[in-house]
Amino acid sequence: MEDEEMEKKVQQYLQRKGFRLTELALQEERNRLTTSALSEVALARSDNDPTRYSDGYSRLKTWAYSSLDQYKKELLRIIYPVFIHCFMDLVAEGHMQEARSFFHTFREDHEEMHSRDLQKLEGVLSPSHLEEMELARSIRQNKFKIKLCEYSYELLLQYLQKTQALVMLGIINEHVTFEVSPGQPSLIFDDADVVALIGTSKDLAKQINQKEVHWGLLEDSVEERMEKALSESDKIEAESKEADAEDNKKRNSESGKQGGSLKKAKKDKLIGATGKNIRTETSMVSVAPRVKRELTLPVTPVEVEQSILEDLRNRAQLNSLALPSVSFYTFLNTHNGLNCSSILHDGSLVVGGFSDSSVKVWDMSKIGQPAKTSSSQGDNESSQGERISTSDEGKRPYTLFQGHSGPVYSVAFSPFGDFLLSSSSDSTIRLWSTNMNANLVCYKGHNYPVWDVQFSPVGHYFASASHDRTARIWSMDKIQPLRIMAGHLSDVDCVQWHVNCNYIATGSSDKTVRLWDVQTGECIRMFIGHRSMVLSLAMSPDGRYMASGDEDGTIMIWDLSTGRCVSPLLGHSSCVWTLDFSCEGALLASGSADCTVKLWDVSSSAKALKMEDTKGGSTNRPRLLKALPTKSTPVYSLRFSRRNLLFAAGAISLSSS
Amino acid sequence: MSIVPKETIEVIAQSVGIPSLGADASAALAPDVEYRLREIMQEAIKCMRHAKRTVLTVDDVESALTLRNVEPIYGFASGDPLRFKRAVGHKDLFYLDDREVDFKEIIEAPLPKAPLDTAVVAHWLAIEGVQPAIPENPPIDAIVPPTENKRTEHGKDEGPPVDVKLPVKHILSRELQMYFDKIAELTMSRSDTSLFKEALVSLSKDSGLHPLVPYFSYFIADEVTRSLGDLPVLFALMRVVQSLLRNPHIHIEPYLHQLMPSMITCIVAKRLGHRLSDNHWELRDFSANLVASVCRRFGHVYHNLQNRLTKTLVHAFLDPAKSLTQHYGAVQGLSALGPSAIRLLLLPNLVTYMQLLEPELQLEKQKNEMKRKEAWRVYGALLCAAGKCLYDRLKLFPGLLSPSTRPVLRSNKRVATNNPNKRKSSTDLSSQPPLKKMATDASMNSMAGNLQGAMDGFSTQLANPGMTQASSSSGQMVENITSVAIRRDQGSDHMQRVSAVLRQAWKEDQDAGHLLGSLYEVFGEAIFSFVQPPEISFFV
Repeated sequence: MEDEEMEKKVQQYLQRKGFRLTELALQEERNRLTTSALSEVALARSDNDPTRYSDGYSRLKTWAYSSLDQYKKELLRIIYPVFIHCFMDLVAEGHMQEARSFFHTFREDHEEMHSRDLQKLEGVLSPSHLEEMELARSIRQNKFKIKLCEYSYELLLQYLQKTQALVMLGIINEHVTFEVSPGQPSLIFDDADVVALIGTSKDLAKQINQKEVHWGLLEDSVEERMEKALSESDKIEAESKEADAEDNKKRNSESGKQGGSLKKAKKDKLIGATGKNIRTETSMVSVAPRVKRELTLPVTPVEVEQSILEDLRNRAQLNSLALPSVSFYTFLNTHNGLNCSSILHDGSLVVGGFSDSSVKVWDMSKIGQPAKTSSSQGDNESSQGERISTSDEGKRPYTLFQGHSGPVYSVAFSPFGDFLLSSSSDSTIRLWSTNMNANLVCYKGHNYPVWDVQFSPVGHYFASASHDRTARIWSMDKIQPLRIMAGHLSDVDCVQWHVNCNYIATGSSDKTVRLWDVQTGECIRMFIGHRSMVLSLAMSPDGRYMASGDEDGTIMIWDLSTGRCVSPLLGHSSCVWTLDFSCEGALLASGSADCTVKLWDVSSSAKALKMEDTKGGSTNRPRLLKALPTKSTPVYSLRFSRRNLLFAAGAISLSSS
Repeated sequence: MSIVPKETIEVIAQSVGIPSLGADASAALAPDVEYRLREIMQEAIKCMRHAKRTVLTVDDVESALTLRNVEPIYGFASGDPLRFKRAVGHKDLFYLDDREVDFKEIIEAPLPKAPLDTAVVAHWLAIEGVQPAIPENPPIDAIVPPTENKRTEHGKDEGPPVDVKLPVKHILSRELQMYFDKIAELTMSRSDTSLFKEALVSLSKDSGLHPLVPYFSYFIADEVTRSLGDLPVLFALMRVVQSLLRNPHIHIEPYLHQLMPSMITCIVAKRLGHRLSDNHWELRDFSANLVASVCRRFGHVYHNLQNRLTKTLVHAFLDPAKSLTQHYGAVQGLSALGPSAIRLLLLPNLVTYMQLLEPELQLEKQKNEMKRKEAWRVYGALLCAAGKCLYDRLKLFPGLLSPSTRPVLRSNKRVATNNPNKRKSSTDLSSQPPLKKMATDASMNSMAGNLQGAMDGFSTQLANPGMTQASSSSGQMVENITSVAIRRDQGSDHMQRVSAVLRQAWKEDQDAGHLLGSLYEVFGEAIFSFVQPPEISFFV
């Protein structure tokens, strides 16, 4: 207390005498010394006049806008944190009226970049709200980190000192840390940092992202064995066909380049025409390093393995020149009730989760037939099913699963189609058997609606994401979760397994995507860059890349090992509900609320990244190959079959009715 | 301060049985209410997203309330999207129109039809990346070809060209078909309704109509030939053409060749409408203007468009065997093309034509009242056209005919008028090929000469009392002008720097003078209505 008094007096003295620079120097020094700069700030704003914020801010803004072009971009970044904190300071001090008018006067400056945050903050109307609201709290607790070049920093300091903008100085000292880098102003590319300022401090994210990720594929997978078998058969063939053998050699030498160069793709196409395309792609996948399994995995039955091998053999080669065929399943008469859908890998079963708590499964192989003629899927099913629904067998073309007591938000088939998971707003997950048409287990663990549930690529395990801000890992045989992943600052909206089953990725309303280690339950990657809630995730089949789609229609491709965004894919105008990679990872399909399926060429992006050591990039951006509009049908789910046929599903929405 | 005003809080308090809420309390509550509202909306939006919708529904808000452990508000659930009404006098206040329903009515009403059960249908959205043209897919026209993509692909890859399998059949969406049928029906049967007007507006504004243009042009061509006797239909069809032409989103050029004949038919057809009382004149005028607008818009693209058109029209005009209605149409069509078309094509033939027309105009010679009326129509049209041309001329050379400027002209013509004249003439020249101009002048001159000869006959025939006097004055006038011109020529001769261009300009002046004179010969005083007052004062 005395100290403060003293300081005040000193300051008054200095002010009286006009020792302005000394005064500022004193201030600066004190700022540096005091860890909790609060007392200083209080002092700096000794006069409790709310208008000083708006004055100070508008002056800072004008200054930043009239600064040198080269440094303007950087300097403009400062005004957003200042704006937010000015507003929050005003609220905290109880100047509601002024806070409001301040907010409305200046909000348009930031509308473009931060509109969603602004919408949230607009509702902050009393000091208690600051405490309550997660976004406000995290903004208050964490510092903005802004990258500046040396000169910009100098400019800023000069400005603050010359104009004696103490309020601004206080705010900047308190809430912004500068990362001053020598040389020229950095590119706008780093804007991601500024956008997703929420959450834990950047340092932590960086620290997290330095952990090791083994993104390789599993040892001894079916694909690998398949490839081995094939290479053997290749040898035999090679003897008979010399020309082919040459191709093969080339391919093997080239196999270091993932995705294949275009020449190669061309060749592949030629070869594909002769029906021997599979070898290249399997060899491509095999480039990925192998990792050990960390979970005990279920054994795949022999007949399933056989069918997988069969599919692999018949897989159509996809690349930027050979686009897939798309089969679209349209849900009719849903009365706005369809919340989610999922398609079995071979497209034979389609399931829809409805807001009336029901789950309905259609057997597409039977549609259009007078039923009874049970096909590949199940003799089993019809015998069991008849017992349940003989009365309406003729009427109903689908199997109805009832059990949830709230809207069903997600449904997922097990890899072989025996089981079905559904998650609901009643905070439970239910496991259904498609063979017996019955509910087997109800998993209770989440406390709030479960937004998403996904089977692991090998089955048995599954992951769920919930409004309670956690993601959980379960196994089918236990009713308690095996792991709880906590760390997201808002709802976890979607979840996706890594191909090797050792990791799961989660997308959240806090605009980040995180990667978690299944074994330890730790967060090992944070992907920051989305500007709105993340709605969909997909993993590339080689395990190296991940795609995430958000509410604004932006899709981002991430490199798991570096934690950096390879490149954003812009094209959708509305929510990206679903994403899927083609089986060899050359194409990415995205389905959106803007009623289109879009196909992106991502093989080039992977290449670009490889060459990025020499700072390539912009020329080899992944590009939109094809946009396939539907007839006013938002695309809810997408799925590449093992033979690379693309299945899509959606409910037709007639706006007029 | 908050978007929820204190008064609202007070009203709500009263509604739940707290008669007097302290001002402080309501002031404190208001911001909190807003915050809670926003919180609920935030959660509701999450629910909406997870239900994969982009429109917020009552259910979403209900789920959000449940999430926050708040009892939902009952009685608003509805499967249909809510229809909000704007409160009168408020910009941003909406309400649900909840009408009172008689209980009895509901009980006695028959059970509504059971809603259709959910079903799944499959179709091919794409086959090897190409969308098949099946009804399940959106119409092909709506798809923007990704040209840019393809180009980059070719440039970069040099791979085999992507073969785009274009649909063989032109598929028209159901909606467009219905639209077309509706428009066709309106045009054919109910063109006098206000609905048709709306349809025309839609035709001239809507952007998605391009696929229909071939159908429309065929329809129009077909119907014009079929219903030449039905004036309202013809008129409606022409209005449709007009709307299509106006639509900025339609690329109509390729269909002009189909539309032009129909339009020209509507100008110069022998009979339009089966009744004598039908006002086909109006249709002719309308179509003439339409054709002229087409010429103005596309004339630079299709060089022979105007040529062909004028040829047709002049033929119609000059053929004495054609009926007067056809003549009328031709005159109107030519005059709509602008003064130069009149000057080049109509005026040279004016005198000869007038000879032809004259007998038809007079009561004693043409007993058929209908015919006479028609003749007068043609006469009127010719008068109008000539007047237009004259007016245009006079506008170009205002100095010539105004007496007030004359002294000035004489005293220091070089300074005051030569220069502007020069400029004008040069602009004039640049706009028209000089050769043509020469030809015009020549024809004009010859016509003037002819007129001199033919004048006597004419003036006597026209039983106009003021005529003779005027004619003499006009003769005077011509003289006057020529003398002026000569004088000027002399003056300019003295000045060594007289250029050919300048001479041309004088000639033009002269022509204008001649023109007025000759026109006066033909039309009498009526032509004066096209001359601006100062000039009139000079003449009369």
